[in-house]
Amino acid sequence: MNTVKVKTEQKPILTMHGISKAFPGVQALRRVDLNVLPGEIHGLVGKNGAGKTTLMAVVMGLQEPNEGTIEIGDHTYRSMNPQEAMLAGIAFVPQHVAMMDSLTVAENILAGELPKNKFGFIDWKSVEREAKERLDKLNLHLDVTKRVEGLSVAEKTMLAIAKALFGDAKLIILDEPTASLSRADINRLFNFVKSLKEKGASFVYISHHLEEVFEICDRVTVMRDGRIIGTEYVADIDIPKLIVMMVGEDVEDYSRKSTCTDEIVFVLDHLTRRGYYEEINLDLRKGEILGITGLQGCGAEQLGKGLFGLEYRGVGEVKIKGKEFTAKLPIDSFNEGLAYLPQDRYRFGLIGVRPVRENVTYPILNRLIQMINLINRSEEKQIVENFINELEIITPNQEQAVRLLSGGNQQKVVFAKLATTKPAVLILHEPTQGVDVRAKMDIFRIIDELASQGVAAIIISTEIRELMGICDRIIVMNNGRITDEFLKGAKNTTPENILDAIEGGKNNHE
Amino acid sequence: MNTEKNKFITTIFDNLIWLLVISGLIIFSVLSPSFRTPFNLVNILYRSAALGMLVIGQAFVMITANFDLSSESGLGLTAMVGGLVLASEVDGGLGLEVSPALAILIMILVGLLIGYINGFLITRLKMNNLIVTIAMLMILRGLIYIISPGATASFFPKSFNWLGGGALFKMPMGKGSLSFPVATFFILFAFIIAHIITRYTQFGRNMYAVGSNLSAAKDSGIEADKIIRKVYLISGFCMAIGGLLAAGRLDSATPRVGVGMVFPVQAAAVIGGVSLFGGRGSMIGALGGLMLWSILDAGLSITKVSPYWIEASRGLLLLFAIGLDAIKVKRMRQRALAEALSRTEIGLDDTQIVID
Amino acid sequence: MNNGRKIDLVKLFLDNFIWIIVVLVFTYFSVQVPNFITLGNLINVLLHASVLGVLVIGQTIVLLTGNFDLSAEGVLSLTTVLAMWLMAVPRTDAGGAQASGLILHPFIVIPIILLVGMLSGWLIGIMITRLKMNGFIVTLAMQLVLRGIALLISNAQIMTGSPPLFNWMGGARINGFPVSVGVTLLMFLIVNYLLNQSKFGRELRAVGANADAAHASGFDAKKTVTRAYIISGFMGAFAGWMLLGRLETSISSLGVGMTLETVAASVIGGVSLQGGLGSVGGAFAGVILLSMIDNALNLIDIDPFWVQGIRGLIILVALLIEAQKFRYKPKVIHENENGIVEKAI
Repeated sequence: MNTVKVKTEQKPILTMHGISKAFPGVQALRRVDLNVLPGEIHGLVGKNGAGKTTLMAVVMGLQEPNEGTIEIGDHTYRSMNPQEAMLAGIAFVPQHVAMMDSLTVAENILAGELPKNKFGFIDWKSVEREAKERLDKLNLHLDVTKRVEGLSVAEKTMLAIAKALFGDAKLIILDEPTASLSRADINRLFNFVKSLKEKGASFVYISHHLEEVFEICDRVTVMRDGRIIGTEYVADIDIPKLIVMMVGEDVEDYSRKSTCTDEIVFVLDHLTRRGYYEEINLDLRKGEILGITGLQGCGAEQLGKGLFGLEYRGVGEVKIKGKEFTAKLPIDSFNEGLAYLPQDRYRFGLIGVRPVRENVTYPILNRLIQMINLINRSEEKQIVENFINELEIITPNQEQAVRLLSGGNQQKVVFAKLATTKPAVLILHEPTQGVDVRAKMDIFRIIDELASQGVAAIIISTEIRELMGICDRIIVMNNGRITDEFLKGAKNTTPENILDAIEGGKNNHE
Repeated sequence: MNTEKNKFITTIFDNLIWLLVISGLIIFSVLSPSFRTPFNLVNILYRSAALGMLVIGQAFVMITANFDLSSESGLGLTAMVGGLVLASEVDGGLGLEVSPALAILIMILVGLLIGYINGFLITRLKMNNLIVTIAMLMILRGLIYIISPGATASFFPKSFNWLGGGALFKMPMGKGSLSFPVATFFILFAFIIAHIITRYTQFGRNMYAVGSNLSAAKDSGIEADKIIRKVYLISGFCMAIGGLLAAGRLDSATPRVGVGMVFPVQAAAVIGGVSLFGGRGSMIGALGGLMLWSILDAGLSITKVSPYWIEASRGLLLLFAIGLDAIKVKRMRQRALAEALSRTEIGLDDTQIVID
Repeated sequence: MNNGRKIDLVKLFLDNFIWIIVVLVFTYFSVQVPNFITLGNLINVLLHASVLGVLVIGQTIVLLTGNFDLSAEGVLSLTTVLAMWLMAVPRTDAGGAQASGLILHPFIVIPIILLVGMLSGWLIGIMITRLKMNGFIVTLAMQLVLRGIALLISNAQIMTGSPPLFNWMGGARINGFPVSVGVTLLMFLIVNYLLNQSKFGRELRAVGANADAAHASGFDAKKTVTRAYIISGFMGAFAGWMLLGRLETSISSLGVGMTLETVAASVIGGVSLQGGLGSVGGAFAGVILLSMIDNALNLIDIDPFWVQGIRGLIILVALLIEAQKFRYKPKVIHENENGIVEKAI
C-alpha cells in the first residue's frame, strides 16, 4: 500500500520499502514504507510502542528486517550492519546524547584526528583553533575548551548533530531532541537545524511535541502499531488531523455496564511534582473506571509511576479508602491496596527468565509463607492455576519462562500478578500495547470483571476509542494539569472533542 | 552564588590530592623529628619507586575504564626471572649469569607477554577484565614459586642494581654525605614521560575517549580494542621496570616480592584522580597519589605504628578513595538533575530534588 | 504442548551435566592416580571440600544476586585468628603468642565470630547498595582490611590450643567420618531446599535476573543484596570455625586463594555470573570437582605452587565457557520509552 506522497521529482536519499520486523511475542513493524528527500526535515510521530525506534534501528543497521529493502543513494540493502549504515551516511542522535563527557568539546569533535605539531605531539592550540573553525562553519558557537559534561542539553544535542555532519552524514536522525529544553534553547536548536538543511543535510525528526513538528518539519509520517498510517506534507495538514491519525480508531468498541458506586476510595489532593505535573485533584470511586489521556509529556505517565512508587511522587495528599496513602515504594503500594501495570512489560512488568508461576506470585509471597519463609507450593500452584484458567492464559504449563509467551498472554500474567494483591485501586498504563486484537478483548473483559468486583481502575492510554468504550470518565491532561473531563454517555463525549482537548491545551500556554 | 560555591568545591576536589600531600608532610614532620630529616625526605619516593611504576601502568589501564589487578604478580615474576638468570648458583640463581642488559631485556619481554595475554583474554575472548586479571594475579604468583628452586636469588651485578638501588649523586652533609637515589629521579622521569604520552599523543587521547564512552569513541573511528590491548602491554612493561627497580633496590629477588601491592596501586591511582569509571585523571595526579601513599607509609613506620596497621590501613585507604569517587559521581548526577529541573515551568511548588 | 516435555529433558541433562564430569574425573583419578581411592584420601578430599563448600554456599548466594564477594577468605582468616585470640591460653613459647588472656568459652566465642562475619557482610552490602561503590573493589579492599586486622591481632604469629569444644565442628569424627563433612553436606541440602522453596530464594534470583522488575514486583533489591552479603560473611566465619577446629592452629594467612576457588566452583556448577540463574546443587558439584583435582595434584607430588597456578587456569577456563554461553544467547530487543533496550535472556 503506497501511502507516501511526494511533490517533487527529486530522488529520495533514503527509501524503505515493505520493512517488517518481529520479535518474540510482538510484531514490531508491518510492511513499512518510508522515504526521506534530500534537504528535508521529515517528522516521525506516534506513541510509544508504535514502532518508531525499531524502524530507526533498522535504518541504522542495528536490527535486521525480516522482509523489505532499504535504499540509500544508489545502493539497495536487504540488511545492513552499523558500519555500512555509517558509511552510507546515516547518523543517529539519541535522546540522551552519547558523547565522551569527561573530554572537552574540541576533543569530542576531533576525536581520533587531533592536530599535531612537527614532532608528532598534540598541538593543543591547534586543536582549539580547528574545533572552533569547524563549529563556526556551521554557525554553532560553543566554548571548545569546556568539558562536554558541563554543556547544557541543548548544546550537547547541537554538538552531536555537528559531529555527525563532520562525519559526512547525509541523514541525521534526531530522537526527541527537545525533551528537556527551554523555549530559547529550542529556538536555538531549530535555527541550527534549519541552517543545516539549507546546506543540504536531511533529518528525521522523532518527537511527540506536535507543534514543534509543525514548526520545523517539511513532511510528517505517522506510525501506529508498527504500521505507517500516512505521510503528509505539513502544509497540507493540521494538528487535529494529525492526532486523529496517531490515535487508535479502528478497534471494536467494547461496551459495558457501569459498575461505579458512590463510595470514594481514592483521593488525590493538590498533587504536584516539579517538572511533570501540578495541582492534580482527583476523586475515584469504587468500581469506577477512569481514563487519563493526553499527549506524551502531559504528565500522566509520571503520575501513574509516582503513585505506585516507581518514581518520586511529589508533594500533596493521597488518600486510599479514607486513610492516608503513605507508600513510597512498590511493595508498600501493594500492601496499601494500589497496584500498577507498567507500559514497559519487559523492563518492569515481568522477569523473563523465570516461570509463569513465580511471576504471578512475587508480590504475595508473604501470604503464601507457611513457616520460616517457606512457600506453600501447593497453595501457590492452585492460585496460579486458577488465574490461568480465569484469564485464559495460554501456556504449556506453569513452569514455562514468561519470555516465551506471546505479548497478550504475558500481559495476562501481569494482570494475574496484580490481581493477587487484591488491590483497591489499579493503575494501568497502556494495557493493550503489544497485544493482539483477540487478546485485547480478553484484557477489556478482565478490567471489566475487576471493576465489577469493586476495584477502582485508572487507565492511562492514548487509545481514545478503547477508553470511550470502557471508561466511566475520561480526563485529559495537558502540560501537567488536568484540563478536561468527559463523562460516558454525555453529549460532548465524542472522539473529536476528546482529540480537541488533547491538542487544545497546548495552544493555551503560549 | 551557587555556582561560585560549586566552582570552589570542584577546585578543592580536583586538587585534593596535593592538599593531602602537603598536609601529610606537615603533620608527620611535626609528629616525628626523624621524619623531617633530609635523609628521610629524599628517600620517600626511593622506597616506592617500584610501586610507582605499577601506578603508572594501572593508571594507563584505568583511564580506559579497565583494571589490571595482576600487576603485583607480574612485578614479582619479572623480578624473579631477572634474579634467576643473573645470580650465580651459589646465590640462588640458575647459574646462567647473563649480562645485566640481557637480563633486563628478558624481564621486559616477560612483562610484555603478561600484558599481551591480559589484553588478548579481555579484548578477543571478551572476558571480564576484573576476573581475568585477578586470575592472572594468582597464576603468576604460583608461577613465581614454581620457577624459583630456592627461596632467594641475590647479589646482582652493580650495573643491574643501579636503577633501583644506585645513587645519582652525593651531597656532602654534616659528617657524611647524602645520596640522591637514581630511582627517585627515574620514577619522576617516568611519570613525566607517561604524562606526555597521555596528554600529548593521539594514542593517549584515544585512551581517554575509550574510557569516557566506549561506543562514542568507536563511532569516532577509534579502534577501542587495539587501544585496550596496548594499555595492557604498557602495564606489562611497567611491571617489568617495576621488577627491575624492586630487585635492584633489594639486591635480591624472593617469591614474595610485590605481594600486597595491588591495593596501594589502586588507592594511589584513584585518590590521585584517576577514576574507576574511566576517561578521567592525569599522570601528575597519580604521582600525587603515589606521593601521598609514600608519605603515609614512611610516616606511619617512622612513628612506630605497627606494620599490620599499615596493612589494614591500605584497605581502608582504598575504600576511602573509591567512596570519594562514588560521591563525586553522585554529585554530578545531582547537579545535572537540578539543572534540568530548574528549567521547567510546571509544578514550581514542589522544591525537592530526588534522584532514584 | 509436547515441546514442553522434550525441553525439560534436555534442560535436565544440561543442568546436571557437571555431575557427569565429576563422575568421569573421579573414575579417571581412581585409575590413574595412586592412592586416590583410599578411604583416608577420599576423606581428605571431603575435608577440603567441606570448608570450600561452606564458602561456596555464601558465594553462590551472592552470585545469584548478580554480585561478587571477594572478601570471604578475609573473613575466614580474621575469624580463625579472632577466635584463637579470645579462647587460647597465653603461652610464651613459640606457637602460643599473644592470646588475649580472656580465655573465653567457645559458646561465647562462636557467636562472636559469626557476628563479625555478618557485620563484615553488612558493611559491604551498605557500601555497594547505598554508596553505589564498585562491588569488586569493595570486597577486595574489605578482604585486605580483614586480613590486616587478623595480622594485627595475631602479630603474624601462629597460635595453637583451641579448646576441644570449639574444635568439634571442624575436627571431630563419628566412627571415623568427619563431622564437618556431614555438616557441610547438610548445609548444602538445607540451603538448596531453602533457595528453591523460600521467599528469600525467589527474591535473590529475581533481583539478580532483573532488578527493575523485581523492584516493581515488590522486592527490596538493596535489602536482598545486603542480606546476601551478610550470609556470605556468616559462611566465611563458619568456614573459619570449621577450619580452625580441624587444624587447631590459626595463621593469618589461612585461606589465601580460596576466594577464586569459590567463584570457580560456582561458575563450573552453572551459577551465572550475571545473576538470576543457578543453584547450590550445581555449585556443590563444582566444589567436589575442584577438591578432587586439588587432591590429585597433591598426590602426584606436584609442586604445591603449581596448584595455585592451575587453580587460576581452571577459573579462566570456567570464565571462558561462561562468556561463550552469553555470546550465543538470543537477545530480545524491546522498545520502551527510552529507546531500545537490549536484554540477553
